[in-house]
Amino acid sequence: MTEAWIQVATVLCVAAPGVAFALIAGAEWMRFPLQEREVVRIVGVCFSVATLAVVGSAGWMLHAGVTEVRVPIGDWFEVAHHGFSLALVLDRLSLPFAALGAALVGLIGAFSQRYLHRERGFRRFYLLLSLFGLGVELVVLAGSLDLVFFGWELVGLTSALLIAFFDERAAPVRHGLRAFLTYRVCDLGLMAAVVWLHHTVSSAEVAPHAGSEWAGLVAPEGALDATIVGALLVWAAMGKSAQVPLGGWLPRAMEGPTPSSAVFYGALSIHLGPYLLLRAAPILDRAPIVAGLVVTIGALTATHATFVGRVQTDIKSALAYASMTQVGLIFVEIGLGFRFLALAHIVGHACIRTLQLLRAPSILHDNRHLEQAVGSHLPRPGGHLERMVPRRLQPWLYRHALERGYFDSLLADGILAPVVRLLRGVDRVERRWIALLEGGDDKPADEGSGSRVAR
Amino acid sequence: MTTPPPRMLKGRSAEERDRDHLRDAVDHARHLLPTQAPIRAFVHHNTLHAFEDLPFDEAVVRAAELLGTEPYEREEAFGAHLERQRITSSDIAAVVAAAGFSEAPLVPGGPSPRELRALRLHHALERVEGPALTWLLEEVALSDFHPEVDAPARARVLDSARRALGGAVDARRALTELHARLAPHAPALPVVHAGTRPRDRVLASHGVDVDEWVHPLMYRLCGAFLDQGLSYWAMPARDAGLLSAFRALYGKPFGPPDPWLRGLPAALAEAQAAGRDAEQTVIASLDALGVPHARWDEVIEATLLAIRGWAGMIAQLEARPDRAPVKAPPCRLMDFLAVLLTLEAQAVKHVLRSEPIDAAPPRPSAPATDLAVVYEAFLVAQLAGIGPAELDDPKDARAFVHEVAAFDSVSRRRLWHRAYERHHRQHVLDGLLAHDRLGVPAIAAPRAQAVFCIDEREESLRRHLEEVDPTMETVGALGFFGVPMAYQGLTDVKPTALCPMAIRPKHLVVEEPIEEAGARSAAARRRLVGKVQNASSVGSQTFVRGGVLSATLGLAAAVPLVGRVLFPRLAERAAHAVEHLAVGSPPTRLRIERAEGDDARDEHGLLSGFTVFEMTAIVRRVLTTTAIGGRLAPLVVVVGHGSSSLNNPHEAAYDCGATGGGRGGPNARAFCAMANHPGVRAALAADGPAIPEGTWFLAGAHDTATDAVDWFDVDLVPAGHRAELARVQTVFGTARRLDAHERCRRFESAPLSLDVDRALAHVEGRAVDLGQPRPECGHATNAICVIGRRDRTRGLFLDRRAFLVSYDPSGDPDGQVLGPLLAAVGPVGAGINLEYYFSFVDPEGYGCGSKLPHNVTGLVGVMNGHASDLRTGLPWQMVEIHEPVRLLTIVEAEPELLVRILARRPGVARVVHNQWIQLVAWSPSTRKMSVFDGTRFVPHVRDARTIKTVATSVDHYRGERGHLGCARVEAALRTGAP
Repeated sequence: MTEAWIQVATVLCVAAPGVAFALIAGAEWMRFPLQEREVVRIVGVCFSVATLAVVGSAGWMLHAGVTEVRVPIGDWFEVAHHGFSLALVLDRLSLPFAALGAALVGLIGAFSQRYLHRERGFRRFYLLLSLFGLGVELVVLAGSLDLVFFGWELVGLTSALLIAFFDERAAPVRHGLRAFLTYRVCDLGLMAAVVWLHHTVSSAEVAPHAGSEWAGLVAPEGALDATIVGALLVWAAMGKSAQVPLGGWLPRAMEGPTPSSAVFYGALSIHLGPYLLLRAAPILDRAPIVAGLVVTIGALTATHATFVGRVQTDIKSALAYASMTQVGLIFVEIGLGFRFLALAHIVGHACIRTLQLLRAPSILHDNRHLEQAVGSHLPRPGGHLERMVPRRLQPWLYRHALERGYFDSLLADGILAPVVRLLRGVDRVERRWIALLEGGDDKPADEGSGSRVAR
Repeated sequence: MTTPPPRMLKGRSAEERDRDHLRDAVDHARHLLPTQAPIRAFVHHNTLHAFEDLPFDEAVVRAAELLGTEPYEREEAFGAHLERQRITSSDIAAVVAAAGFSEAPLVPGGPSPRELRALRLHHALERVEGPALTWLLEEVALSDFHPEVDAPARARVLDSARRALGGAVDARRALTELHARLAPHAPALPVVHAGTRPRDRVLASHGVDVDEWVHPLMYRLCGAFLDQGLSYWAMPARDAGLLSAFRALYGKPFGPPDPWLRGLPAALAEAQAAGRDAEQTVIASLDALGVPHARWDEVIEATLLAIRGWAGMIAQLEARPDRAPVKAPPCRLMDFLAVLLTLEAQAVKHVLRSEPIDAAPPRPSAPATDLAVVYEAFLVAQLAGIGPAELDDPKDARAFVHEVAAFDSVSRRRLWHRAYERHHRQHVLDGLLAHDRLGVPAIAAPRAQAVFCIDEREESLRRHLEEVDPTMETVGALGFFGVPMAYQGLTDVKPTALCPMAIRPKHLVVEEPIEEAGARSAAARRRLVGKVQNASSVGSQTFVRGGVLSATLGLAAAVPLVGRVLFPRLAERAAHAVEHLAVGSPPTRLRIERAEGDDARDEHGLLSGFTVFEMTAIVRRVLTTTAIGGRLAPLVVVVGHGSSSLNNPHEAAYDCGATGGGRGGPNARAFCAMANHPGVRAALAADGPAIPEGTWFLAGAHDTATDAVDWFDVDLVPAGHRAELARVQTVFGTARRLDAHERCRRFESAPLSLDVDRALAHVEGRAVDLGQPRPECGHATNAICVIGRRDRTRGLFLDRRAFLVSYDPSGDPDGQVLGPLLAAVGPVGAGINLEYYFSFVDPEGYGCGSKLPHNVTGLVGVMNGHASDLRTGLPWQMVEIHEPVRLLTIVEAEPELLVRILARRPGVARVVHNQWIQLVAWSPSTRKMSVFDGTRFVPHVRDARTIKTVATSVDHYRGERGHLGCARVEAALRTGAP
């Protein structure tokens, strides 16, 4: 009986954000503009319900000593010997994530009522926020990688749209596009991993895994297959979690409203990469190369981000790189197999960083307060760096950090530019071909559009 | 000494000439840059201070051309004002008449230029051009009248068409003919000039905007160079200046791989080897960019204005390094320009290597004409009811179109703006006169007096005080209360100036604990708490410490997170209580007195405190200016003000303008200490105005965000005054609740049904809310300044819109008091008012746009998002409800006296004659008003003679959100006097 209630509660975690989105979107669709207060109430109620559902379930599971609840929500389709059955899984990994997701989105909903009061895009913000909440809950509760993909895409889409929230200026839109492009390229990894898993083990479901505290993806038998799937998943996680060398979009994502920056890049979206890897623990176990890759990427990212972050002179970039540093560390922990530590690290980091990002606009106030408390100007913390790094190397290192490791320029000129050139060439050939077929004059249509690479 | 050979001399002098030319050019451009100081010390000033030598109307247009900004509100805004009768027909008629246009008919049977303008100003027509216009003409405009054309005008147009064409004519035929008459006379479109910078040429020829390459790098460099402690690792070698630091960093090989920067290390190394200083670097870069000497000025001006936020901050810190929050690096605008132009030269060189884009399409054979103006003339003709017959003669049609074209958008908005101001002015002046005519009883012997800053936000608190206790007299003085000091509070790290910007303080006043030992241990505890906080905040952003912290204690952050988000007021109280418990706040006094003859100065060049002689002069001056010297009440409270808020990088902009963007509480406290000083009293007793023995001065501080009022040195109040003090504190307690209540009506998120106590809780919550971008409305309601006796305005509801300056003309026949008062009040009031004007009319160009994407950088300013130019001016959330009128300054003085004072004080005269403020003389003898029109005082003609009377302020504002007119509040008039 109680188990049935838990099943209902689990479905509620996904359904409640969906309801919030549907109500706001429905009202917009019917051209019935909701009042600010009503929008906030909808989001508040739905995410409170979701939070209570998770917390309630957690309580019962602890009490009853149950470690996993699986809720089938129907089959997508079934052919011959292959089936896509969809299910939600509530276990020791998804519980904290689901609770964190629902609670933080709810909190940000309450916070933004004041923050975005009278803003032109008020309802749009809440619409995207609830869609994001739905995406997060889907990703973390998904019982199979297929379902993860849906949530994963929702998170990416809403993230890009919220970065471009202030669409009357060019920069936010450009930066939103950049994040979106990064996501798309990396989502290919997730997509390919799903296909490869279906190909090799006929299922992308998460299943109990011996020697692990929570359910995980079923690892392919062959080490090569496992390595391929693992690498693809790592590729997917790198984009979402802004790992080296793809992380250039993260500081740019701070163009969006502060509350969404906080919940996306301080707390939830940025930690979905590690989440995916935690779910993929069996694959990491089988493919030590992938585990090594995760450690390497994490270590590189943490080192890169900590140096770059230390020279940032604006509070939001500094916090963005601080986030990147910690997520890099979490990657390392996961790669080394400290999975509970990684989980605790994620939850703690999400709380700290969200609070810091929400406080970011008050930095001047806080800084003065601290100065008064300490009784002097705050000490410059960089002293030991200056002692540790040889004097002659300092300008190099500083310039490297100030230029954010040159990754942007390397990506733009080394990879993006050749691709653009190639596409342009294809375009020219096509035009000429069409002109030949039509026999008309081949006036070059606006060539300028799309030529400027997002920098 | 040997004389150099002639050729050398000539060469040197040519270089010297170049350098002089360059310095002049940079100084000229410097003048145009924003003059905003680091944001922690925000001081309101006229955004177009550099243009103050020009008349307002000319200045806004010139600045708009130069900066790409808006001179007035947009046409749509004026359309909205017309719609809601904020601008009425009589306002339009009055301003058009005053502008003096010809009254002779423009075309036979048509309107005169004056009528045409008045007509045009009744309709905010949308400018339609391009394909939209073609569509409109094909589908709609020629088949029926414009909806705003009234019936008589339609009849006249049809009638005119009948006369011109003969026979029955329908609207389509009449309109088609009308348009056909006008169409041939389209004026030529103005030629659009390409910019003067090399960057503009490259943009035109290659389609590449090099600013998009150069500026982001400049943002990073300047951010790193100016950083006051936000970053963990400071820029190496910045103590030698921006150019040196730049060379030291970017002159090293293996630099950024961006293709356009490949030649940079070599170029920098070469400049370094040649020993070029900043000026030589600029000259070399200008040469490399192919800029001829003759165009240096305009190119430098345009180059700096394109990145004016950062350039302005460098220029500010060059002029006033003392205003840096911590320590300014050696800032030089020339360095900045050298770096900027070096980079621009590299970028341009790189672009020019590639192929230019296809040449612009060949020019059409006929010059482009402005068809939109023809359409506008077509609509105006309809509105004026003239048709084909009146415009049959091509000469007339041409004259008509050109007259419509001549009354262009800027001219229209100029007149609309005047009409908008006139409407407000008439209401205010009529309200003041009506209130005065009904009579305001004097307060015979005030039981207490309360001296406030002139700030318009204190108007409501003063009014409520007088309503609660009609025997209390309130007084308005500049909120530094005459004490020009540098002040260091108990916990302050360094002294800050607390006086108007124009004054550089020479005296230091320090807040000291009464009991050393207790204070020392409190300070130690505070330091410990601070160090822990600082360490955790810095540590959480690092690698190892951050990892350990977030993995172990991270979850604990959930408590403040939930508290701050869901219960901001409670969370703040809890944090405050914890801190109070841990640290405590020891009682203090000000160290204010300096012995006569002690001229020792500290490292900032400051004298320690004031001598009795100096204090006496300060007290005397305030008592004389405010004219309370002769009739001091037993208890005089002096209340400074400031504002505290979270989520607000512009926090300082809400503080007291008269203290130069600081909080005025310490000034009030210092003033009271002076006025209670026996030595000062003895000196005053000799030369007047004497302070009676039974009078005590008590200082307070009003927080305009939370409406809290704190009192200083209460323990010093003599026993005989305790009862009265308790009574006054009760009155303040009631009045501040009412003040909060009145303020809440302007906050959409506060329900109009809030009661007084919940209103106070609401404003307290706003100030400590991390999610609140509008802690208070700031000066958004400022519009008026009344310099005169409070008896003229007591009991008048002025809706928190008026600076109230106490001044008594009866004791000042020659303007000995008024002259200095105007010179002191003028810059403060006009600075605030004009900054709001410009930030409102062009929130992106003059203001800093919406607050929501702001990002604090280097502790000196805000950017949009992760990298942008520094944003100066006020954020939109701060000015949102502002009415952009120039400060309506009403001075209780004879117009002749004002003319004499203006002749003596060129600083004030410049602002008045160029009409940066509206000046009104209110004659004390005839009680008539006259308005200064730029050259002379013109009698004010009243529109209304009555005024709404209400029992209390609440009765007037209850249920209202918008700006309210004047009203007579009877509660404040029951003074008990006959």
